[in-house]
Amino acid sequence: MDRLERLVNLVAALRHTERPLTRDEIFDRVPGYDGTEEAVRRAFERDKESLRAIGVTLAAEKVDPTNADSPEGYRIRRDEYELPDPGLAPDELAALHLAMATVRVGGGGPVEEALWKLGGRPADDVAAGDGGAAAATSAGAGAAIPGGEHLPVLFQAVTERRTARIEHRGTARTVDPWQLAFRSGHWYLVGWDHDRSAQRSFRLDRLTGEPRLGPPGAFERPPEATTGHAKPWEMGEGDPVDVDVLVDADQAPEAVALTGEAAVADRRSDGAVVVRLRVTNRPALRSFVLSFLDHAEVVAPEEVRDEVVSWVEAIAASTPVAGSAGERA
Amino acid sequence: MPRGKADDRLNRLLAIVPWVASHEEGVAVEEVCERFGVSREQLIADLELLFLCGVHPFTPDTMIEVEIEDDRVWVQLTDWFARPVRLTPTEALTLVASSSALLATPGTDPEGPLARGLAKVAAALGLGDAEDLVDVELGEADAGVLAALREAISRARRVRIDHYSYGRDQRVVREVDPHAVYSQEGRWYLAGHCHHAGGERMFRLDRIRAAEVLDEPADPPPAPVVPGAVYVPGPDDPVIVLDLAPEAHWVAEAYPAERTHPRAGGVLRVWLRWSERPWLARLLLRLGPEATVVEGDASPAREAAERILARYGRR
Repeated sequence: MDRLERLVNLVAALRHTERPLTRDEIFDRVPGYDGTEEAVRRAFERDKESLRAIGVTLAAEKVDPTNADSPEGYRIRRDEYELPDPGLAPDELAALHLAMATVRVGGGGPVEEALWKLGGRPADDVAAGDGGAAAATSAGAGAAIPGGEHLPVLFQAVTERRTARIEHRGTARTVDPWQLAFRSGHWYLVGWDHDRSAQRSFRLDRLTGEPRLGPPGAFERPPEATTGHAKPWEMGEGDPVDVDVLVDADQAPEAVALTGEAAVADRRSDGAVVVRLRVTNRPALRSFVLSFLDHAEVVAPEEVRDEVVSWVEAIAASTPVAGSAGERA
Repeated sequence: MPRGKADDRLNRLLAIVPWVASHEEGVAVEEVCERFGVSREQLIADLELLFLCGVHPFTPDTMIEVEIEDDRVWVQLTDWFARPVRLTPTEALTLVASSSALLATPGTDPEGPLARGLAKVAAALGLGDAEDLVDVELGEADAGVLAALREAISRARRVRIDHYSYGRDQRVVREVDPHAVYSQEGRWYLAGHCHHAGGERMFRLDRIRAAEVLDEPADPPPAPVVPGAVYVPGPDDPVIVLDLAPEAHWVAEAYPAERTHPRAGGVLRVWLRWSERPWLARLLLRLGPEATVVEGDASPAREAAERILARYGRR
């Protein structure tokens, strides 16, 4: 028998029942659980995993909640199963479809799948009516955002306001996750760090180990809990330091485009600018300054200036590789 | 755990059933196929299987009723399947991240159908303001430059761009037949045929100071544009071999590595081709001790380091 048939019947049985069904009752009422006890047990575990993969999580509960000795069983309550109808107009569904076709998250997989539950792809004659989005697609524009193994679970933590226990670069942290942010090619978790009693950002690809989530509704998200347009050098865990960076005239417009006009502390008569940056991530600041090669320098504070100098000195002192295939003139 | 084939079929079928059932007059088989991206053969097979489904004791009144006739399909008795299943965290994330990213792109109507659609979905999922939960920046781009490039592509016109070449460390005004504009890994790029260079090139949008749409028609791309390959190495370009510490493994993904080879201690050895000295200098300056040069010419980095140190008064 087709496994799909068994799965559909399993969902129907668990949706239909008014009280939890024990495993034996399930195996009795849903055709297809055949073979040895072990084979049936494995088939049911596999089916539970399939349901979880499509968004239905089965949790065992007492068949008779008033009796501590009651056997455990399963059912699927309406509110655990049904997606409330968002009431999308055809042009809104079309716009969402277009967005998913234009901005691919995590690569791979047909873009339609997440929209099946919202009614699938609307007919072609429905115009999205969104100038930007429509133009983006027709103009061959698109965007790809990498996924990440911890993204879905942390998204759940953010949306359900669950405190997360994470391991960041080998250190255990307890975080109230406020937001997921994608900046300069990397995903960050932004939230309240219990251990430091401060807002912090954690790069997701530096998490080691699976995040563990607490119960839902554990905290209130402060209204200002957004990164806004946080820059890479602001996405760190260090204590904030104001750093002045002098950028030569020929690179000044690009630098200001990256830092924002508000960061400009001084404009010199030769066209050079000094930008003042609030830095919590020193490596990101260093990458930013060095990306201008010798067209920019840290002017203050001395401590940060010295850090950049010793970093660059190490590179200047690196010895050419012996026997390497030809140093170019 | 990734979804298997049976899981995908189940997911799709449990989405198709409520949608078809909500149309009392039935729907055309073809429309279902288009909407849910499924072949006619597969759809009929799945629907025929649905005839066999219901609840104990599987008498006619406890079975799902499916009718397929004259290329139309009806489904009845689906109280259990009256609504689709809730979104999985992955589905919800994909939907919210894609939509938020596009809404944050210059030129998208902040009150248009996308914004309205996202707000409705967020409300149905109980998310509140979805744009606050997932904040995606596709990259720095001037709204005027982005708009001009999109216009040029949709009207198939040549553009003149004032571009700072990061690799060469110089500014050049170029005329380009634009093929595509896209964001990859947090940066916007223009792909097109550059008349200045005489070939296909990629340009980062945050290095384009101005873009002007010209009247001259642009030639269409010779082949579909594949985002990603910003720099296509030539066979004569020199190779540098680096040992990357774990924090620097992103290099192997960010640039087209000829080869990679994992080594002891989490070190990844990569073979990279490069053509412009400033490019290599920046890469090695950024990586510092996270990369060890195993083989190849690291002199661009050492020379750049000397110039930087001179600027800091240390030479």
